[in-house]
Amino acid sequence: MNTFMKSLRTVTAVAALCLVTATVAQAQNYKVAFIARAQADSFAAWLANGIMDEAKKYPDLTVDVMDSQADDAKENAFIENAVANKYDLIIVQPNNGEAQRPYVEQAVKDGVKVITTNARIKDIPGSSSVDADPYEQAAVNARLALKQVPENASVVVLNGPSGNMHADMRRDAWQKEFFDKRSDVKIVGEQIAHWNKEEAMRYMEDWVQANDKIDAIVSMNDNMAAGALEVIKDDPKFDKILAYGVDGTAEAMLLIQSGKMTSTALQNAYDLAAKNISVAHDLLTGKITQIDTDIDCPLVTKDNVAEFIEIHKKSGAIK
Amino acid sequence: MNNLMTREKWQTIKSRYSIYLVLIVMIIVCNLLNENFLSPRNISNISAQISVTTILAFGETILIIGGLLDLSCGSVLALAGVLSVYVFKETGSLSVAFAVGLLVGVLCNWVNGILVRRFNIPAFIATLAMMTVARGIALLFTKGQNIYQIGDYVWFGQGKIGFVPLPVVFMIIIGILTWYILGHTSFGRSLYAVGGNEEAARASGINVGRVKIGAYLINGAFVGLAGILLMARTNVGAPNSGQGYEFEALTAAIIGGTSFSGGLGTAGGTLAGAFIVGFLNNIMNLTGVDSYLQQVIKGAIIALAVGYDMWAKVNRTRKTLGAAKTSNERKEAKV
Repeated sequence: MNTFMKSLRTVTAVAALCLVTATVAQAQNYKVAFIARAQADSFAAWLANGIMDEAKKYPDLTVDVMDSQADDAKENAFIENAVANKYDLIIVQPNNGEAQRPYVEQAVKDGVKVITTNARIKDIPGSSSVDADPYEQAAVNARLALKQVPENASVVVLNGPSGNMHADMRRDAWQKEFFDKRSDVKIVGEQIAHWNKEEAMRYMEDWVQANDKIDAIVSMNDNMAAGALEVIKDDPKFDKILAYGVDGTAEAMLLIQSGKMTSTALQNAYDLAAKNISVAHDLLTGKITQIDTDIDCPLVTKDNVAEFIEIHKKSGAIK
Repeated sequence: MNNLMTREKWQTIKSRYSIYLVLIVMIIVCNLLNENFLSPRNISNISAQISVTTILAFGETILIIGGLLDLSCGSVLALAGVLSVYVFKETGSLSVAFAVGLLVGVLCNWVNGILVRRFNIPAFIATLAMMTVARGIALLFTKGQNIYQIGDYVWFGQGKIGFVPLPVVFMIIIGILTWYILGHTSFGRSLYAVGGNEEAARASGINVGRVKIGAYLINGAFVGLAGILLMARTNVGAPNSGQGYEFEALTAAIIGGTSFSGGLGTAGGTLAGAFIVGFLNNIMNLTGVDSYLQQVIKGAIIALAVGYDMWAKVNRTRKTLGAAKTSNERKEAKV
């Protein structure tokens, strides 16, 4: 009887220990879904890689990356699936904020914690957001241009896709911070080049033909600015051209270092990734219940480019 | 009688060469709209701008004539391009990088050919699958990131022979090659036969499967080359490049008179089709036409150009049939 009682006690103790361990393990292992806009978009891929790297620092987080392939329907389906599969937190990088809004609202109603990032979906009670302010990213460049662009200058403008929040807000910042204040400046060409380098090259090749002088390239991202600069890189006529972008890509950093590009605003995917994961962890562990926060978007010029090149060296994009 | 013959000759020229007439009219109108249009630099720019999609369009022309299609060319172009750039950065050898680009294009299209021939998968589906797979591999390989600092590799896309940009030289070579293959080889004749009526071609002893795979292999080499040129032109190994290029290539081929039902098309027509689109984009930029309006105008003019071409061809067929009918009636009356 004694032996039986001893065995029973041992079994009960082991079972209780297993139960406690399982409960603790379960409580400390949070499932996070990062629903990326499009892995084919180099910034989105940079952000996804950053999020995966950053998540390794938190042993209680498991992050799965899903690629929406720039398709609203796919992204919305991923949000629904993440809720159904009982993810504890979803980070949504919207393809089109308004299209994802009802799905994010539903996920919040279903009790899942949600962070929207790059760009944030505003005014969803209960959801959090981590972003870089697109207006400010362009505005820091525009304020610099205000001092640098010569009087009666001719400029060309390269826009991102219409309807994209970052594209529209960056263009809005240039309008308010620069064009509205410099009525002497003439826009001799303005086109949507869809963030695309090759498309920007085609436009610039045509503008160079149509205009005797172009004093500045105003681009809503670095990729398009680099495309425009590619066209005129060996043309002494454009030696002094000014070129402004946004993002802080490796290519833009090298162009700024070599004096070909004037400035960019860094939208650092590593900072964005680190902040997303730390906010996710704080939300899941109950440290905070809601937050809307931005990362800095420092202006990069030839004077300070060296320190930012290090970021790209770390990622292997620059050797 | 003489008048009638001259009129018939004119009708034949008009219907056969209608796309070139459209092109000439377009050049005249564009030149009137902007004085820089016919400047050597502008023509050189337009030629360089259309070179990549025109090379793809030559491949599509060969495929469409044979009753096939390639929706994967934009993605395969990106895969071939980034792998070629990567190999160049690792080895420093332009020739090895060039060979790798071509090889990747040919391999992907060999798979397309096998899927179509051996498994009887429709070309539309087979190449749609390849489109996804190739883009996925390109993104996986680069982790979605661009490859920068590509050094001397840019020579392929930015070098010049005399005053002619290298991509234009490649475009001309590929154009001549396509013209030669289609018009002066037994493979070309078989291709027209297979595209016109596959069963009849098979009955007449043509190895249909071999012709189809051959068409894909040629297309693959063209796509690989286009990938090398695009990466070199833009000075970056971009895995997300070339999106939508398949449609630009198809547009050039179709405007150039290549029939989607197969068996019809020429290299010259495709080149003219590519230039029509190139001129259109260029003149709208030179004259500062709004981005959104450009899309509307482009669509409308493409529809007009193709509509005119089709109308001229139908007219010609009708007249030929009418003439044959009259001649038969005369013969019957004599009897």
